[in-house]
Order: sequence, then C-alpha cells, then structure tokens
Amino acid sequence: MPDYGHDLTFGTFITPTNAAPAKVVELAKTTEAAGLDLATFQDHPYQAGFLDTWTLLSYVAAQTERISLSANVINLPLRPPAVLARAAASLDLLSGGRFELGLGAGAFWDAIAAMGGPRRTAGESITALSEGIDIIRGLWDTSTRERLVVDGTFYQVDGAKRGPAPAHDIQIWLGALKPRMLRLIGRKADGWLPSLAYIKELSDLTASNTTIDEAAIAAGRTPGDVRRLLNIGGAFSTQRSDRLLAGPPEQWAEQLSDLTLEYGFSSYILSGDDAQAMMILGQEVAPAVRELVRAERGADETDATPAVGL
Amino acid sequence: MDYGHPLEFGAFINPDSADPAGVVDLARRAEELGLDLVTVQDHPYQPALLETWTLLSWIAGSTDRIRIAPNVLNMAIRPPAVLARAAASLDLLSGGRLELGLGAGHFWDAIAAMGTPRLSPGESVDALAEAIEMLRTIWAGDASTPLEVPGAFHTLDGAQGGPAPAHTVSLWIGALKPRMQRLIGAKADGWWPSLGRLGPGDLAAGNAVVDAAATEAGRDPREIRRLLNITGSFGPTAQGRLSGPPATWVEQLLPYALDDGVGTFVYAAPDRAHLETFATEVAPALREAVATVRDVRETEVGAVVPLAIRAKRREGIDYDTVPAALAATAVEPGHAGFAGVRNTYLRGGSPGLVLRPGDADEVAQALSFARSQPVPLAVRSAGHGISGRSTNDGGIVIDLSRLNRIEVLDAATRRVRIEPGARWGEVAQALHPYGWALSSGDFGGVGVGGLATAGGIGWLGREHGLTIDHVRAVEIVLADGRLVRADAEHHPDLFWAVRGAGANFGIVTAFEFEVDEVGDVGFAQLAFDAGNVAEFLENWGALQEAAPRDLTSFLIIGRPRGGQVVATVMATVDSDDPDTVISRLQPFATLGPLLQQAVQILPYPAIVAAPDGGQHGQGEPATRSALVDHITPELAAAASKLIHSGVSYFFQIRSVGGAVADVPPDATAYAHRSANFSVIAFGAGRTRLDAVWDTQIQPHANGLYLSFETDPRPERITDAFPPATLARLRELKGRLDPENVFRDNFSVAPAKPGLATVAG
Ligand SMILES: Cc1cc2nc3c(=O)[nH]c(=O)nc-3n(C[C@H](O)[C@H](O)[C@H](O)COP(=O)(O)OP(=O)(O)OC[C@H]3O[C@@H](n4cnc5c(N)ncnc54)[C@H](O)[C@@H]3O)c2cc1C
Repeated sequence: MPDYGHDLTFGTFITPTNAAPAKVVELAKTTEAAGLDLATFQDHPYQAGFLDTWTLLSYVAAQTERISLSANVINLPLRPPAVLARAAASLDLLSGGRFELGLGAGAFWDAIAAMGGPRRTAGESITALSEGIDIIRGLWDTSTRERLVVDGTFYQVDGAKRGPAPAHDIQIWLGALKPRMLRLIGRKADGWLPSLAYIKELSDLTASNTTIDEAAIAAGRTPGDVRRLLNIGGAFSTQRSDRLLAGPPEQWAEQLSDLTLEYGFSSYILSGDDAQAMMILGQEVAPAVRELVRAERGADETDATPAVGL
Repeated sequence: MDYGHPLEFGAFINPDSADPAGVVDLARRAEELGLDLVTVQDHPYQPALLETWTLLSWIAGSTDRIRIAPNVLNMAIRPPAVLARAAASLDLLSGGRLELGLGAGHFWDAIAAMGTPRLSPGESVDALAEAIEMLRTIWAGDASTPLEVPGAFHTLDGAQGGPAPAHTVSLWIGALKPRMQRLIGAKADGWWPSLGRLGPGDLAAGNAVVDAAATEAGRDPREIRRLLNITGSFGPTAQGRLSGPPATWVEQLLPYALDDGVGTFVYAAPDRAHLETFATEVAPALREAVATVRDVRETEVGAVVPLAIRAKRREGIDYDTVPAALAATAVEPGHAGFAGVRNTYLRGGSPGLVLRPGDADEVAQALSFARSQPVPLAVRSAGHGISGRSTNDGGIVIDLSRLNRIEVLDAATRRVRIEPGARWGEVAQALHPYGWALSSGDFGGVGVGGLATAGGIGWLGREHGLTIDHVRAVEIVLADGRLVRADAEHHPDLFWAVRGAGANFGIVTAFEFEVDEVGDVGFAQLAFDAGNVAEFLENWGALQEAAPRDLTSFLIIGRPRGGQVVATVMATVDSDDPDTVISRLQPFATLGPLLQQAVQILPYPAIVAAPDGGQHGQGEPATRSALVDHITPELAAAASKLIHSGVSYFFQIRSVGGAVADVPPDATAYAHRSANFSVIAFGAGRTRLDAVWDTQIQPHANGLYLSFETDPRPERITDAFPPATLARLRELKGRLDPENVFRDNFSVAPAKPGLATVAG
C-alpha cells in the first residue's frame, strides 16, 4: 500500500540557534510567507546553543497566523508528559488549532543525564514513550469523567484532572527508524517522521511502512491513520542531476511526488535555514507536487481528506 | 521601612483555558495601559488554566514593551535545568522582558497526581534553594565548560552552561513562612506574597526576617524588591480594604509602599474596566503620593548593586564613577551577559569591566574613564584580533560593537561611511544591493575596526588593493579624548599612520571608504595531494604571480596526516563570466593530483558570510607572519620543512601584490608593498613554532603583516615597520600618545619629545 492518500503538506525545519533569535523567528515568518503549511524546530534542551524549543514554538505561534507548528521532535525524557500535555493543549487553544506534537524517545543519554534527566536503554525509552503517549492522550480526553490512571514503569499519573482539551485533534508524530518504534507508531501514533538523511536505501522505507501498517492493523487501526512525514534536505540548482533533491524545482517535484506515490509520504519538511529555498519550495515545488500527485491519484480522489487518528 | 524602589505596577491575569483570546487581549491591554508587568499564575495540575510557560511565551510574542513574569512558577513540577534554558530563551526572544516568580509548590495532592514526587515543606524549600542555584549557574556558564552541580533534589552532571539571558533575570519568590523568607534574604531578588493571605503585621514581620537574612548574608536589604499581589474593586463609596474609589485605594496602598516597602503592586483585576482604572487612576496617583513623601524624607531612590555583582568586581576599577551614559550598557563580571563579552574569537579573557559606548562622544567618555583607572585597557571592534589583544584580565575593554552603522554617503562616488563595530560580512551584505564590494579578508566575522586600521588582505586584493587603500577619511578619538577627522588634508600624518598602524593612535569611530563596483565572483576550492610540498608551493607561487589581477588565491595546508599533505587552493576571480573564471583557474588544475574541486559563481557576500553568536576563545594563539616577494625555491624548501615538522596545524600563503603594489611604500604605514605573498602559520605551542619558524622562514622574510603576528619579541616591531616608517610612527606617537595609552596591538614606543616634529 504505497500511497495512503493524505493531503500534501510542506514545511520547514528551522535550526533554533540562540545566537540570533530574531533570525529564527524571521525564518518561521518566511515559512508562512512562502505559503508553506508547517514550521518545525528540533528540540535538544541540553544544547546550550539552542533556544528552548517549547518557548520558541509558543513565541513563534503568537507571531504567525496560518502555519502549523511542531517540534521535530520533542525530547520526552526532559519534558515530563503530564505538563507537556497541558502545554500542548494550551498552545493549540491559543493558536486556534495550529499545533502538532512531534515526539521523540530521546537519544543523547549522556547529555540528558547531565541535565538531571533519566538515562534509559533503547527499549526503556520506547516503553517510556508509549506511557507518555497514554498520559498525554488521557489528559487531552475530556469526553470521559473516568479517573485517569496510568501506572507505568517510567511515568505515572493517578487521578490527575483531564483537560484542557486542545482546539483540534493534535496529531502525535514520532521520529523513528527501528522496528520497535515503528510498531509503536502503528499502534498509537498519528504520524511517522523520519529524516531522509538517515535512510540508507529507499527500499528501507517500504519495509518500515509495512512494519507500521501491520502494527496498525493488528491494533485495529488502518494504515491510513498514520501520516508519513519526511525531513528532507537538498539544493536547488538550474542543472538536473541524478541525485535526490539536487536540481531544479521541477526535478524536486517529480522526486517528491514519487516519494508520495511509491512510499506514501505526504509531508515534506525542508532543512537548511535558507529563506530562498523555502520560497521555492512553497511557490514552485509544492504546487507542482500537488498537481502531479492529483493527476496520478485520479479525479475521484482529488479531495482526499486527511486521515484522522483513532 | 521604605527600600526606595521605583514603583512598578502589574496585572495578574487569570489564564482561563476557556477563553484564551480574552486572556491574551487583557495582556495586550495591560501593555497599552502603560503597566510595567503582566503576570500569570502557575498551576500545571489545573485544567481550567492555560499552561503558564506557553502562555507567557505567547504573550511575549504578542507584546513589545511590557515585562512578563510567572506569578509564581511551581518549582515542584518544573525541572530547573530545562527551565534555565527556557527562561534565557524567552528573555532573548522578548528582548530582556522576562522576570521569574518562583514558588516551592503547594497543593501536593494535585502535584503528586501528575506523577511528580511529593516533598515535605522543608524539602520543598531546600529543593527551591537548589533550583535557584542551578538557574544562576546555567545562566552564568558557557557551552564549553561542563557544569557539575551536586544536590539532593536537582543535579547537573556535565551539562553545558548557557545561554545567558538578555538581561539579569530577577528571581522573585512567593512565600509566607520564615523559612522561605530566610531563603529570599539569602539568595533571591524579591519577596512576592499575596495580600489576601497576609494578616495584619505579616508584611513587617516578613520584611524583618528577609532583611535579617539578607544582612547576615552580607547583602543590602534594598537589593530585594517587595512585590504584592492585590485584589479589590472600584466603586463610588469606600467599603473596606481596596473597595471604593481610586482615591481611597491610593490612600490605602500608600502605607504599604512607605511603611512596608512594597515596590511593585500586582493587581488581579476582575475585568478589563477594573484594570483600566487601576492603571490610569491608581498607579499615577500612588506614584506621585509616594514621590512626595520620599522627597520630604529624602529617601534614596533607585536600585542598589547586588552583593552577587559587587562580589565579582575587580580591584582597581572604581565602578561607582562609570559615566552615567555608559553605566546602563556596561557589563561587569557579575552580569548575565558577561560570558558573551569576556572572550574574543581566539582568546580567553576575564576583564573587570566592558564598556559599550553607542557613539563617538561615549567612546571619548569611556576612554577618559579608562585612563583614570590603573588597569589595562583593550579596544575591541569585533574581537577577531590575532595580534590585537582585545580582552584582558581585570582591566577595561572598550567594546565598539554598538557602533556598527553602515551608511552610503554618496552613491556617485561610492563613498560609504562604516563604523568599526560592523563586521565584514554585514558590510558585504549592505553593499551588495548597490553592486559594490570592499575587499576585506576571507572571513565575514572579522570586524571593520581592527582590519581597516592594519591592512586588509582579502579575496579581491590583487584587483582592488588593501582595505586601507580605500580609506578616504577616519573619525578618531585620540588619547587625550579629542575626536578628530583625519584625511588627506586634515591631520595627514595621522591619516597616514592610521592606515597600517591605527591601533597605536586612537580609537577609530568611523571610516569613510571609496568602495568598488563588484558583481558576482568566481570562487573555487581546489584540494590537491601536495606530495612534493616544495615543488607545489613554488609552482603555485609562479602561477599566481603570472596570473591577471582579477585572480587572487590563498593556499592552506594543514598538518600532514598519514604522510599525505593536502593543499587547498581557494581562489577568487573577480568576474561573473564562467568562461573567464574557468580560463583563470585552468592552469591551477595542473598543480597536482586534484582530490576535490568546487567552482561556483557567487555573490560576494556569500564568500564572506558572518556567523552569529558570541565568542568563546580560550588561551592564547601562537602565530607567525612573514611577507615575501616571491616563493623562491629556498623559501619553498623551508616551508616544506615547517609543514613536515608538524608544529603548525594551519599554514597559509595568501597572494598580495597587484593593486597592493601600486601604492608607494611611504603612502601608508603598511609599507611592504613589494610583497607578493603573506605567509602565516598557526601553532599549538609558541616555543615549538618559534623554533622552526625562526630558523626556516624568518631568514626569507621581508617584513611581516602585523595582523597575523603574535610573537611578543621586540624585533617584530622592526619587521612590521621598516626604519623610515617606524621613525615617523614614533615621532607621531610621541606627539599624540606620549603615555602610550594604546599599546595592546604592536605597540610603537613614543619618541622622546624634543625631536623634530612634522605638522600632524
Ligand atoms: C578568522 C580570522 C580571519 C582573518 N582573516 C583576515 C583576512 O582575510 N585578512 C586580513 O587582513 N586580516 C584577517 N584577519 C586578521 C584581522 O584583520 C585582525 O585580527 C583584526 O584586528 C580583527 O579585527 P576586529 O575588529 O575583529 O578585532 P578586535 O579583536 O576587535 O581588535 C583587534 C585590535 O585592533 C585594534 N582595534 C580594533 N578596533 C579598533 C578601532 N576602532 N580603532 C583602532 N584600533 C582598533 C585594537 O588594537 C584591537 O586590539 C583575520 C582574523 C581572524 C581571527
């Protein structure tokens, strides 16, 4: 099942360097001006050279009007899930439903521990992430008055009040490459957010999709419940090349529509902090990809609506 | 007790999660009303409230002037290390508008339900004390020094320090009990209770505890601001406490200010209209009433310098007499921003005071103050000095980074006025839209001030000459504090000296340049396997000398690795025509086996980009410089020995010549006009580098470029300046800076007075 039929969105991956905060905010505004859909920032709270991602997301949300915002991705070990859930709901309420939650299990354990955070094995970190998702979704869910109890190994809540509910169904996207995380995505998440730079062979993507799809089906969901997002990098030039995302906008459009039709990706998030490239992505590449994909999907599917998580 | 704090007024806004737009609107209104502070309570277990940090960040993004503070942050639930970075970030994003209200946490059932450990009241105070320590430690730290903070509740184990907030963020503590009040007295910047929870006499009693603890810690109780949350309503008739007409409020609040020392009143208004009345009728009237009494009582009003800042002051600097114009922007070791200004690009430093003047007059004031203090002086534009030691230990730095304007004076003659604190990357960006450029160097982070007073060996040097060759006038503050303009007609000697030895004569506050028309340029990076280094250098040198002037190339060789020597040739062709660029570069392709190549046509700013951020140099660089006319076989062989010795991790030869040599040697204080090459080596250790350089390279040198030299031995002065130049410099120095105030960069000893003088 290569193409999951999600609507296409395009965004940016902006380095949150604190040396020139105004430039970072400016790039988010450029994202909006370029007609893109989403601005994202990496989250490494142990990295003293970066702005705090949560603060930045909130500040930038106040300074923009239309784009969605997400971390790419939140460092869960340093951001306890119960407060995170309320913070996310609050940002979604303040921004009128413009927030999505990219989450990560944590990777740089020395640095996390140096900040007073926990040190977890890969397996533990995935269990913790899964527990964190349960807490976050539980706190967002005000449709029930049932007492919220998550008695996890790493996180516990016991009777914490539910709410506030976010303004829209915030999507939870997980950054991941390995099978265990992919299965967690299939079970519980709304999106898979890998980076193209870390993918060795395109064929690996097919295998990963399959893992996610099978886990989704096993959990009683459908593969379409999981959006596939991709962090991309590249260079625009006048010359076509035989490399991925190194060439003119038309070549980018062809390659991205292939990634959509053959590998199921529907969101492309561009790194590089290059305002000009952002404009080209928004003004030239995005419309062309949408056109190519629409033509391929056929008239009956042109108004494909985004799949909603369970 | 009146602590003499200037009165401030704030709003306590209820972060109702059912009405986010209304909440933000009220915060904006608070700003419009001229209030000083907007504050938000923090109860992360309470779903009826928006999460406080998110909301504060949003409010910061929706306002421009008003300061913001949590009222108060629940520290039981907020890990302090991440909070430190978040707070610094919000302060940076908002331009220094954050203050932090902190509390130890209560409502432990709700806190525990969120999965956070339950602490006893005593433990929570200890945990808060640790958190305060951690916040300040992270803010004062820098990324290169891992922090170790042991604690019973919060630890740092090798975390990076920083970032520093934009200003020194105040820590105001919400508290009612003596234990917390003692903590405030010992460590915090403010006590912030709510009136509704205080009984009669509690403020006075609390102040007494705070003050006693402060005094015991060696602090002045006036360091600690007293804030008060108040509630109440307005109506036509007085009905008890803070319920009635504004005039009654003023009457009732006055004793809190004058007798209990409250400096900040934060009002939890039930609605917008109440907030408006508070801001427009109570605040101004109360300010006035307080001022009147303070006048009569002759109360000293203003901020006192906290002990934490006083404790870090250095011997020999009379901090209290820093001129008022400079005091506001000066940075002391105890200030939040110190880590960002103490070091330079290549050096670690520990100055006692960094003065940051904003115009030439302030530069003169800074200089005169610095001269009155018995400590070292350093002058800094953008901190990329190699020879220029633009930081020091315990002395004063005059930092010109705020003088950074770039302004076109006359488009027809391409006359541009540039202040010294601008960086060359910014200059390139500013000139590019006009189709102009000014050859400076190879790196956009370098400052205008240091480079344009010494030389300026840049990417377009052979075509367009040195940077100093484009200087048409300077404005300079001399040792005696005079601001003079030097050009071909006025102070011609000084004008001559500033171009090559400027650091010896004053502080340049502006340059006027005639810049060049420059379009896009060809830029190549060619990496070669330079197996036979000597032959490679000789061939490259010959090619470069034979090349047309539009080609300027620099050659870099690192330490040999595994027997391989890689030579990178970076070449700029002043042409946007691909055929010209290729034809200029073609001959170079034959220099040796090409390992890598990249050729691009780029706008000039792209090859001198300026990075952002502070400077974190450590230690002292060890470099040597030589100017040579040709790469002779003997020099090439000697350079090969140097490279193979491994003492230099960065060896570079830059081509000069061309237009540089069109200028007569005596036209500027940069005299070595016949040199076609500038040779530089960076070494890990001075002794080892000198041992090889002195024997191998020095014998071939025909002078040096002072900007690349760090050898302190006196012979280097005569290498930098040939005898006639040096004599002229010394004579001028004797007249303009007889006491040698300016000596941090290739100090020329002033000639004894009485020698023949030339009109200057
Ligand atoms: C990475 C790097 C690349 C470089 N590349 C080049 C290059 O390509 N070509 C080249 O020619 N040089 C180059 N240099 C050398 C550079 O030009 C000098 O180090 C220069 O002094 C740096 O200027 P600054 O303003 O940044 O330095 P600062 O450290 O601020 O100042 C250095 C010294 O200059 C003097 N000074 C500074 N401002 C003034 C002023 N307004 N009035 C009078 N004196 C002043 C002071 O003596 C001070 O100690 C480079 C240096 C570095 C570190």
